[in-house]
Amino acid sequence: MARLEKQIEENLLTRIEAELDGEVSEDTRVLIREKLRVKVRQEMGEQIDRITDEIAAGVLQPERERLAEEKPPVVKEEEFLRLGINIRIQHMFLFTSVLTLIVTGLPLRFAELGWSETVIRLLGGIENSRLIHRIGASGLMGVAAYHFLYTLFSRQGRRDFFLLLPRPKDALDVFTMIKHFLGISEERPKFGRFSYIEKFDYWAVYWGCVIMIGSGLLLWFQDFSLRFLPKFGLDITKEAHRDEALLATLAIIIWHFYNVHLNPDKFPGSLTWLTGKISKHEIMEEHALEYEEIMDARAKNGGPRNEDACQVKTPPDCETVSGRCD
Amino acid sequence: MSRFILQFCAVALFVFAGVTVCYAQPVDLQKCTICHGKPGHKRIDDSGHVQSLFVDEKILKGSVHAVRACTDCHADVTEIPHRVLPKKVNCTRCHYLGNPVGAPQDVDYQAYLKSVHGRAAANGKKDAPWCQDCHGNHNIKAHTNPGSNIFRDSIPKTCGRCHVDIYAQYRESVHGEALIAKGNQDVPVCTSCHGEHNILAPTDPGSTVYPSHVAEACSHCHAAETIMGKYGIESEQVATYDESFHGIAGKFGSATVANCASCHGVHDIRRPNDPKSSVYIDNIPKTCGRCHEGANINYAKGKIHVDAKKKEAGIVYYVAFAFKWLTILTMIGLIAHIMLDLNKKAKNSRQRKTGQPDA
Repeated sequence: MARLEKQIEENLLTRIEAELDGEVSEDTRVLIREKLRVKVRQEMGEQIDRITDEIAAGVLQPERERLAEEKPPVVKEEEFLRLGINIRIQHMFLFTSVLTLIVTGLPLRFAELGWSETVIRLLGGIENSRLIHRIGASGLMGVAAYHFLYTLFSRQGRRDFFLLLPRPKDALDVFTMIKHFLGISEERPKFGRFSYIEKFDYWAVYWGCVIMIGSGLLLWFQDFSLRFLPKFGLDITKEAHRDEALLATLAIIIWHFYNVHLNPDKFPGSLTWLTGKISKHEIMEEHALEYEEIMDARAKNGGPRNEDACQVKTPPDCETVSGRCD
Repeated sequence: MSRFILQFCAVALFVFAGVTVCYAQPVDLQKCTICHGKPGHKRIDDSGHVQSLFVDEKILKGSVHAVRACTDCHADVTEIPHRVLPKKVNCTRCHYLGNPVGAPQDVDYQAYLKSVHGRAAANGKKDAPWCQDCHGNHNIKAHTNPGSNIFRDSIPKTCGRCHVDIYAQYRESVHGEALIAKGNQDVPVCTSCHGEHNILAPTDPGSTVYPSHVAEACSHCHAAETIMGKYGIESEQVATYDESFHGIAGKFGSATVANCASCHGVHDIRRPNDPKSSVYIDNIPKTCGRCHEGANINYAKGKIHVDAKKKEAGIVYYVAFAFKWLTILTMIGLIAHIMLDLNKKAKNSRQRKTGQPDA
């Protein structure tokens, strides 16, 4: 720019001096130089901007596309398989049966309320709703029996059952959690594969199944039951059936639905029941000890501890990545 | 033209005769009682059945129709001796709605026309009852009059004239016995359950004793503490039935489920401690066995009308009590946990927003 200015300045002076046939004074030279500088800066600045814009516009888009192609794909957060297909299908059978039983059973529990009659009518009358209730009951018994065998004969089933057994740590965890809730301590309990919340859910269903299936069968085959039981025995059975039904329904609607659906962290619902997957974030947050175990196992097997570098390879015959698949 | 006048005169005469009949002053019955006043006066009908035609003047004078003449009701009798056999008296000649002589009539009474009796009569059934078959004929009296056929105490006998078997059962039942032997006014008579003019067959869904209405029919007395208290009978029997499987299934429209009468009987209801009662302890297997195949004495072990909310229910009460508290305490625990969790989450989210720990 400076050289350009110098050149124009010399040209200008030569021309003026040729015209005047005499030398230009030093003051005028300074004036000319000053004017020239401002003018060139102004005119050239605009030109430079225009040229820059034009060329950039032509180059930017193709270059952007080239870069996009060359960029490596975004590394997705690692997911862990929490629930295998077997247990997921068991859960589906379980909730289908239980919802059927609740819909056909609660109207009898609350027969005195107006909506009960509407529900029974919509189900096609009492004879129909009884049949549906018994179909639901058969489903529940089926899945309960299957699950029992699963916990006995499947390696995953045995392992999970063992991990679901209540331990002193669970009581301690409850205590720590409440302290955490109340702000007494910042420490949040670290859970293994199953937190006390999940253990409660599991054992509530276990207890519920024993009571409901036991009493339900006695009531279903009441003529047979009464060959051995006195009438008041069946009265107890009926009372247990209707009371446990309410307890189970409330536990599902309040506790389980909160923990997997309505909890702000999960809303509108965790999809683990469907996909079986749990994100790295979730497992670190909710099953920190299990996560640690998985990482330790990986390190032992010579794998990298930093799982971001590797996509988890799950052997097809392995149900979870609890790190102990063989 | 002359034919028209003749017709007009005939109609006018008919109307006039009709009106005068209803306004007629007491007349001497002498003419009729020449024959009908003799105690032995009778006739033998085509089937050989002997029908007494004797009318006791005293009885007629003691009835609500004391001032009426024979032909006020027997309007078709126009000559003596009767050339045509007089027809059955039709009470609606006077007892029609809005009649000018004040003969009682009511919409309720007209329910007779739709009742099982009225429909049978309309279909020409010979032995279907007309008004006079229950209310009486020459001896008709107000229902408040102890001499009336339809005086409360007399109703079973009146109905029993046709429903003989049922009357025989009723008079031995706890209800019939109390009425007949003790004149008890709390016990139901036929009409208490079945209705009066509006009686329908028990198979008619509109009937007060249709299976799904039986509990309600019984509840009028058996759910009334004021009545049951007098006899030391529990007044929750209907409520406990409603809560039982039988009651619930019945409410939701099961046609086969037991109602009160299925176990206790209908006209032959007896005290539970009466060995002839269907709910006497030894008879329970048989009674329950009508529906529950193979019913045995186990059916009698325990209270039948059991209310789990009462201590009298024994072990059932304690089971219900245990479950109630298990549910309440569990829910308190779970809901408290949820609330604390939500509270903590809200606090954390406020902290994230402000970047400051809460004070």
